Amino acid sequence: MAELSETSMLHPGVTVNKPVKPSYLRNIRKHWMLYVMILPGILFYIIFKYIPLGGSVIAFQNFQIMKGIWNSPWVGLDNFKFIFTYQDFYHVLRNTALIAFYKLVIGFPAPILLALMFNEVRKMLAKRFLQSLFYLPHFLSWVVVGGIVFEVLASGGFVNAVRGWFGFEPILYMQQEQYFRPIVVLSSIWKEVGWGTIIYLAAISGIDPTQYEAAVMDGANRWKQTIYITLPALFPTILILFLLNIGNFLELGFDQVYNLLTPMTYSVGDIIETYVYRSGVLQGQYSVTTAIGLFQSIIGFILLWIFNRLAKKTGEGLW
Amino acid sequence: MKQTFGEKCFQIANYVFLTAAAFTMILPLLHLLAVSLSSPVAADSKEVFLWPVGFTFASWKHILQSSGLWQSFGVTVFITVAGTALSMLFSVLTAFPLSRREFLLRKQVMLGIVITMIFNAPMIPFFLTVRELGLMNSLWSLLIPGVIGTFNMVILRTFFMSLPKELDDTARIDGCHDFRILFQIYLPLSKPVLATVSLFYAVGYWNTFQRAVLFLRDPGLWPLQMKLRAYLTSPEELAQVNMFLGDYNFNTTTLKAATILFASVPIILVYPYLQKYFVKGSLLGSLKE
Repeated sequence: MAELSETSMLHPGVTVNKPVKPSYLRNIRKHWMLYVMILPGILFYIIFKYIPLGGSVIAFQNFQIMKGIWNSPWVGLDNFKFIFTYQDFYHVLRNTALIAFYKLVIGFPAPILLALMFNEVRKMLAKRFLQSLFYLPHFLSWVVVGGIVFEVLASGGFVNAVRGWFGFEPILYMQQEQYFRPIVVLSSIWKEVGWGTIIYLAAISGIDPTQYEAAVMDGANRWKQTIYITLPALFPTILILFLLNIGNFLELGFDQVYNLLTPMTYSVGDIIETYVYRSGVLQGQYSVTTAIGLFQSIIGFILLWIFNRLAKKTGEGLW
Repeated sequence: MKQTFGEKCFQIANYVFLTAAAFTMILPLLHLLAVSLSSPVAADSKEVFLWPVGFTFASWKHILQSSGLWQSFGVTVFITVAGTALSMLFSVLTAFPLSRREFLLRKQVMLGIVITMIFNAPMIPFFLTVRELGLMNSLWSLLIPGVIGTFNMVILRTFFMSLPKELDDTARIDGCHDFRILFQIYLPLSKPVLATVSLFYAVGYWNTFQRAVLFLRDPGLWPLQMKLRAYLTSPEELAQVNMFLGDYNFNTTTLKAATILFASVPIILVYPYLQKYFVKGSLLGSLKE
């Protein structure tokens, strides 16, 4: 408010004749450039975010590309009824949910643990050097990382060579079903764990050092300090990141799985996103795959809603 | 401060673990480098670890003569440069009003944007929208549909909001309008954060993959990552020569290793210098105010 009166002082006479005009009209007249500036941005979000979101209604249609969204016939819940009787859907949903669950249980705590370990490194130079190495894979594309994974796990690759030293037979890791999910989880930890520590390390560096000093006075060792000071201080950050994660629970990342998947591992590794790509984009089953995508978003939202309620009981939620 | 015996043991174990884990981050790349510089026989017989065996540049020479690879390299350089420029322009233009109290809709617009972070645009309607706009099989499909990255835009907005308010007051006394305040006062003060966000965008464009899979059918338009994927799944194409005709000093294993490195070399080269910007930038993106 102080600002408004100040600006009108600088431009006396602009509004003198129309004192009853609502303030936002005056604001638009004065700052119309701000509205012009943001116009392309707003158009971008409408066209590429909101229109596709609204376009999800084709899940309730028998969408035909020639007729378009306005003329395609409505079919109610038929597409949903179809996917729930469809064997492939359960397969893909099971794969997605299992991989998502492993990623959450193993992948989510990994950067927290790593950040706590980094925190115990007292030599700054060593810490920075180690961090630089850990951050690097984050910047590589999944195509590159997928290529590396295939190469390292190939029959003549690094891992099998090491097995050879101990007299073990080589294993074709990428062609065997039982290894696929662990490989997905481990490769995503390998790529993102270092980068994930940054936010936790920042939160740790924000902890008041006098808390540790007081703990030392009371005779707490490093372990007790970690358990009773560092971890509780990290809790709000962990909670927020967990909530942001759970909303996208079933979205595993197309790039990763697509680049690790081969027809030999479809039965365990085909996830919603790769399935939707193949039968939606490539085979033109637009309505059915949109229904699957919508189902995925609804699950994500329900999970987010449940966990947000739980979070609010212990502390702060997202909303 | 005196350490107990247990704490000393922990310290040592901690260093050993972290160092070992950190080296697994770089070992696969060094291994691939060694493979790419080795003879095909050695590469396929598990002799190569971190040092080339039967040293030869043949694989590198071969892939560097591949016109297909250079064409994709050119596409990637183009979308990285053009895309970063476009993204920076539109992100700055969006972030600035959202950082100003004078922009009365900033709360509503910001809420609308945050909602899109929680509800991602679903793949099929997104695909159909881009198709409907006539962007299929055009490089615009890699540039426009993702021109603003919300995370990056929020970094810029957070930084603009952290600049002192007195700046605008002096500017306004000088009769500056909003565009001039942005371009002549705010942007010159924002160079470090502009550099950081540009780097985030540039890495994103360099690694563009999914949009290329969705929208580009013509192999002549494929960016590097897409081409790499094609070569990794059918490496015969990469060899491009009839292996029966001569005895070449490379095979698909060494060629794949070289191509993977080729696609990541620019990132690995600039990474050590730019790392500190990345880290700072990633923290500015948190939505908490």
